[in-house]
Amino acid sequence: MANLNIDSVKDRTFDAIVIGSGMSGGWAAKELTDKGLKTLILERGRDVKHIKDYPTTNMYPWEFEHRGELPVAIKEANPIVNRCYAFGEDAAHFFVKDNDHPYVQEKPFDWIRGYQVGGKSLLWARQTQRWSEFDFEGPARDGFAVDWPIRYKDIAPWYSYVEKFAGISGNRDGIPELPDGEFLPAFPLNTVETYFSNHVKSKYSNRHVISARCAHLSKPNQIHLDQGRVQCQERILCQRGCPFGGYFSANASTIPWALKSGHATLRPFSVVQEIIYDEKKGKASGVRVIDTNTKEAIEYYADIIFVNAAALNTNLVLLNSTSHRFPNGLGNDSGVLGKYVAFHNYSAHIGAEYDGDKEWTTDGRNPAGGGYIPRFRNVYKQETDFLRGYASGFSAYRYQQRPWDGVGASLKDNLVKDNLSGWKVGSHMMGETIPKESNYVALDKALKDQWGIPQLKISVAYDDNDEKMKKDYVEQLTEMFTSAGFTNIKASTDNRAPGLDIHEMGGARMGNDPKTSVLNKWNQMHAVKNVFVTDGACMTSTSCQNPSLTYMAFTARAADYAVSEMKKGNI
Amino acid sequence: MHRRTVIKNLALIIGGAAILPACHRIEGKVSVTLKNVDISADQEKLVSDIAETIIPKTTTPGARDLNLHLFVFKMLDDCYKKEDQQAFMTGMGQFTDAVKNKYDKPFSDLSQKQREDVLLSIENDKDEKCTANPKELKSFYGIVKNQTVNGYVKSKYFMTKQVVYELVPGRYNARFPYKQKQSA
Ligand SMILES: Cc1cc2nc3c(=O)[nH]c(=O)nc-3n(C[C@H](O)[C@H](O)[C@H](O)COP(=O)(O)OP(=O)(O)OC[C@H]3O[C@@H](n4cnc5c(N)ncnc54)[C@H](O)[C@@H]3O)c2cc1C
Ligand code: SF4
Repeated sequence: MANLNIDSVKDRTFDAIVIGSGMSGGWAAKELTDKGLKTLILERGRDVKHIKDYPTTNMYPWEFEHRGELPVAIKEANPIVNRCYAFGEDAAHFFVKDNDHPYVQEKPFDWIRGYQVGGKSLLWARQTQRWSEFDFEGPARDGFAVDWPIRYKDIAPWYSYVEKFAGISGNRDGIPELPDGEFLPAFPLNTVETYFSNHVKSKYSNRHVISARCAHLSKPNQIHLDQGRVQCQERILCQRGCPFGGYFSANASTIPWALKSGHATLRPFSVVQEIIYDEKKGKASGVRVIDTNTKEAIEYYADIIFVNAAALNTNLVLLNSTSHRFPNGLGNDSGVLGKYVAFHNYSAHIGAEYDGDKEWTTDGRNPAGGGYIPRFRNVYKQETDFLRGYASGFSAYRYQQRPWDGVGASLKDNLVKDNLSGWKVGSHMMGETIPKESNYVALDKALKDQWGIPQLKISVAYDDNDEKMKKDYVEQLTEMFTSAGFTNIKASTDNRAPGLDIHEMGGARMGNDPKTSVLNKWNQMHAVKNVFVTDGACMTSTSCQNPSLTYMAFTARAADYAVSEMKKGNI
Repeated sequence: MHRRTVIKNLALIIGGAAILPACHRIEGKVSVTLKNVDISADQEKLVSDIAETIIPKTTTPGARDLNLHLFVFKMLDDCYKKEDQQAFMTGMGQFTDAVKNKYDKPFSDLSQKQREDVLLSIENDKDEKCTANPKELKSFYGIVKNQTVNGYVKSKYFMTKQVVYELVPGRYNARFPYKQKQSA
């Protein structure tokens, strides 16, 4: 039963509500409170306070009970999340366990989630690239999904805006398909990464190997120090939470910033069940949450609502928000809500060796992880038998080979010998996938979660385009590796399910036409003007760049628009 | 005589107060009980002797000084599947019998050289088809070997005194000269 104590209605009324406190919700909270709005941040998980709630952050390897490995019982109880590379003894407490929030896999889908203040921003790999004009014009040019209602020039200033605050390291590479941003100094490529970069430049006019751009404070500015963050110390233990605030997370940056304004109220343990639609006013009046500790239902009210529950949970909340006006989910006049879900294709890798440059190695650790090869396929025109293209990671490394063979004093000697390997090189693909109506999420008709909310049914799969692209990645990278003189080249593909890329997008896409899209060019619902969706659910297509920077930029832009519309009395 | 081994001090040794940062570690004795495997005192002694043969005390500490056999049991108990644990137990019996048959004395009474010979003959038996050593015996030895070395190279001693681990490097030099050190 909803708690409808009239006296407390005032206490439960805010200017704005933000659903979810992760990567995008943190930005909504920061922007709305910066503009003076009394904002309620609702988070289904527990609070995770910067530094204080990072229990493993300063632990040495020998301080972990199993030296970093997870017990079999945990792995077997969590086959899904266990497939995520970052699910280890040091960070498992920031991941949702399989049984905590079950879902229905109509087709196999590894749904990787972080339910806590900060969401997945604690865990991410911090890779940040802008989209380009080629990405926003993609669907219109290549005839899939619907046209994006914006172009690069609309979002460019907002990329700059969020980059300055978050702190992004990178070089100004001058590549049209990967626009430059407001960068802190890049983490440099190492000797062999540089060799490969030069080789590729000399051989291919439109292929580039650049320093990976990432959300690390290589050299903080005053705005970062003002957040209480300091220079990244190259620990690369980021998934534990960083005591220096060296990388961008909602916990280190936007959430404390919003709370410091005095305008924000953070309510953890509050799962939003639905958004309440007021038929008379023709807009949303608030949300109904279930307190996850007491199971009590409570309603909160506000003039504007930002939905930032992470792409698929945002779809769930919207689909579950039904009313006389919207029997099929909030703002779903078009019937496309939940459909055209897409993701990134990470299912191919390649490794090799390089025999040169043995007089060089690296010292310390590189938070950026190495190099990045922006998309080079089908950029200016269609040139292959598949649509769109892929970006690739690229890195080169050496390691101490300390053989464990044998026993006794000689083994002990081998374990400390300086015996650096030659250079190894590796790459993985990051492919764009095409949103399709048949890739969808919906509410399961029968199954509910422990709070009585319908479970999400996920039906998303690869297609022929993905298979062709995967093949092309293997061929092209093999060719590039061969021509660079790399040896022992081994390409491998895997049959991972969608989802493990953790870049799921779509379901409530943006578009010009309310008949075929849910949101307008301001991330505002066509049909419910005071509801904004600025996480991955809004994405019309997926590009092949990592998505989070774009969610941040969309969020800041939409918050600016929402507040100006509010002031004009339009919402 | 079977008893459920109570591993004292284990948490202290391998940092059992896992949720507390290093500086807040509680000093004192902590007991950890194995949940899934039953290890007798004799078996504990056997694994300890094998571990000491793998990583012997030299001018630097060995397996016994670092209690690595307790780490082997901890990992066996938590990080291996039922069937691996069963193979470990069966293989441990086979190991004891094989030593007895060959030398007519228990492993603990063998010379250092004999102990090394026993272990190396199992380790060097890489042929799947070869039946000289039963498969469980090889599993048993494989687990003891891997976890002894794993525990050694990830011990506080090794990571602070031998190959120093840096929690906070505070630098990244992308182009760093390398010349292999002359090994002793
Ligand atoms: C290991 C890993 C590596 C990654 N690497 C990268 C990378 O390199 N680059 C990149 O761009 N992206 C990366 N990502 C993806 C990135 O983390 C996400 O894109 C990003 O966090 C999404 O932001 P979000 O705000 O939509 O969701 P989240 O950050 O997940 O936040 C959503 C929040 O909403 C809460 N919530 C959900 N449902 C409800 C509800 N009903 N009521 C209340 N609260 C709710 C959740 O608990 C969560 O806190 C990675 C992710 C992982 C896990
Ligand atoms: S690499 Fe930088 S951001 Fe990551 S944990 Fe280390 S200091 Fe923190």
